[in-house]
Amino acid sequence: MLGRFRHGYVAPAVLLVAGLLYAPFLWTAYLSFTRYDGLEPAQWIGGHNFAKLLEDPALLTSIRNTLIWVAGTMVLPVGLGLLVAVLSYDIRGGAWFRVPFLLPYALSGAGLAMVWSPILSHDGIANRLLGVDTAFLQEEPVNTVAMLLVWTWQQLGVNMLLFVVGLQSIPKAPIEAARLDGAGSWALFRFVIWPLMRPLTAVVVGLALVASLKTFDIVWVLTQGGPGRNSETLAVTMYKETFVASDYGYGSAVAVMLTVVTGLASYLYLKRQVAR
Amino acid sequence: MIRRAVLVVLGLVWLGPTYLLLVNASRPAGSYDPTRAWAPSADFSLFENFARALESADLTQSLASTALYAIVSPLLGVIIGALAGYTIVVLRLRHGFFWFILIFGGTVFPSQMLLVPLFVGYSDAGLYDSRLGMILVYTAINVPLAAFVLRNFYSGVAFSIFEAARMDGASTWRVFWRIYLPISLSALTAVFILEFTFIWNDLIFGLTLTQTADVRPVMTAIAGLMTDVYAGTPVPVGLAAGLVVSLPTVVLFLATQRLFARGLSLGSV
Repeated sequence: MLGRFRHGYVAPAVLLVAGLLYAPFLWTAYLSFTRYDGLEPAQWIGGHNFAKLLEDPALLTSIRNTLIWVAGTMVLPVGLGLLVAVLSYDIRGGAWFRVPFLLPYALSGAGLAMVWSPILSHDGIANRLLGVDTAFLQEEPVNTVAMLLVWTWQQLGVNMLLFVVGLQSIPKAPIEAARLDGAGSWALFRFVIWPLMRPLTAVVVGLALVASLKTFDIVWVLTQGGPGRNSETLAVTMYKETFVASDYGYGSAVAVMLTVVTGLASYLYLKRQVAR
Repeated sequence: MIRRAVLVVLGLVWLGPTYLLLVNASRPAGSYDPTRAWAPSADFSLFENFARALESADLTQSLASTALYAIVSPLLGVIIGALAGYTIVVLRLRHGFFWFILIFGGTVFPSQMLLVPLFVGYSDAGLYDSRLGMILVYTAINVPLAAFVLRNFYSGVAFSIFEAARMDGASTWRVFWRIYLPISLSALTAVFILEFTFIWNDLIFGLTLTQTADVRPVMTAIAGLMTDVYAGTPVPVGLAAGLVVSLPTVVLFLATQRLFARGLSLGSV
């Protein structure tokens, strides 16, 4: 009744996933221990690439920028998203107040670059508006911060939306009870609403944590990691080492490092969440 | 009152760049002037600007390729994923949980871990810079999520449906194709939209695995156009291109919003 051809039915899924996801993953892990330029056969050099990682000044910049991205993402798109959600979720016409924040989310990374490069360029609108003369996309670490603000402009909406869904599903009874007991707005948020929406916050923060560690698109379309290498993130460094410098072994080592860091961060974060 | 004031001020800040985008994308290509970027232009030239972008960067081919990838890959992905979910849950595949974890485990790899081998392997296999290669990799990326959502969906479907259909003599394939696939349409649609959006907006695989204008996906092509902003693409043309290619995902999402919400909530049962 259950059929004899069952393994045949999972075969396409297993073959695709194994061939195009698992095999490349293992291959990259292997390549990170080799010297390889794509032409000559890969040559085993042990941990040499990883030793090089530790003393590469460009990688240090890249790590610093990635940390700015992670910390900044928590404060701006996530934190501000929560603020807008809390301010708007239970007022009349709240949905209308949220529209401006949702519009930018429709733009893709490339569209984002189109909008912001004329604004941030040297003779651009931002400099005129602020009456300053800053090279927003050139000086470090100003360029990373500027891109983070662009990212905030685009990403706030989706975080806000997730928080609104969470806030609206909170039971009304505890809030009413706290209000009757004379809790002010802040106390209400801090001691009633915040604890009740913790599970959702955990998901939003976890997703943002992993995504920010892998920041690539927006940096690539706005500065390509430059000028020089001063706005590179780990994902951009990986791409450049591999496909610009043709150092596949070293690029793979950066990829492995990025994977380990992402995996470790998610693990520690999840463990902390579960422990609570 | 303060709440509304804060929301309005923040909202206006957010609308600023959106306004600049709309105003300057509709401005005649030659008339962009950073000092007067805030003033709307009397002539509405959004479509001319977009036509010009299509021409100058060969975007027509890229758009066609992207549409192909963004439709075919998720379609294959959801069917293959659904079939795996059906086999594991309904046909009670032996060691089903192992196979499920194996398939779903595919989501954990960052794309950076896949790029080098895909690039090298594709070059050797003649798949580099080919539409087939792009469809394959995008399909593979779609399968784990589809298997996850559909496995959850099918575990909520009464087994008696399956038994009844088998009693009537339908093959396991026919039961899948004629009964299970149609009843999971909302879940399939939800996954399809997520994957469509992912592929439509993807930059990195297009950047790594393609080269020529007719294979290269549109976002990668536009990112290239962007570097040309300095090399002579007028700002309004770039903006119009960025705006118009962002539309399909928005339209698709708005058109299927209700189905989408239903599909996801069913998938998470």
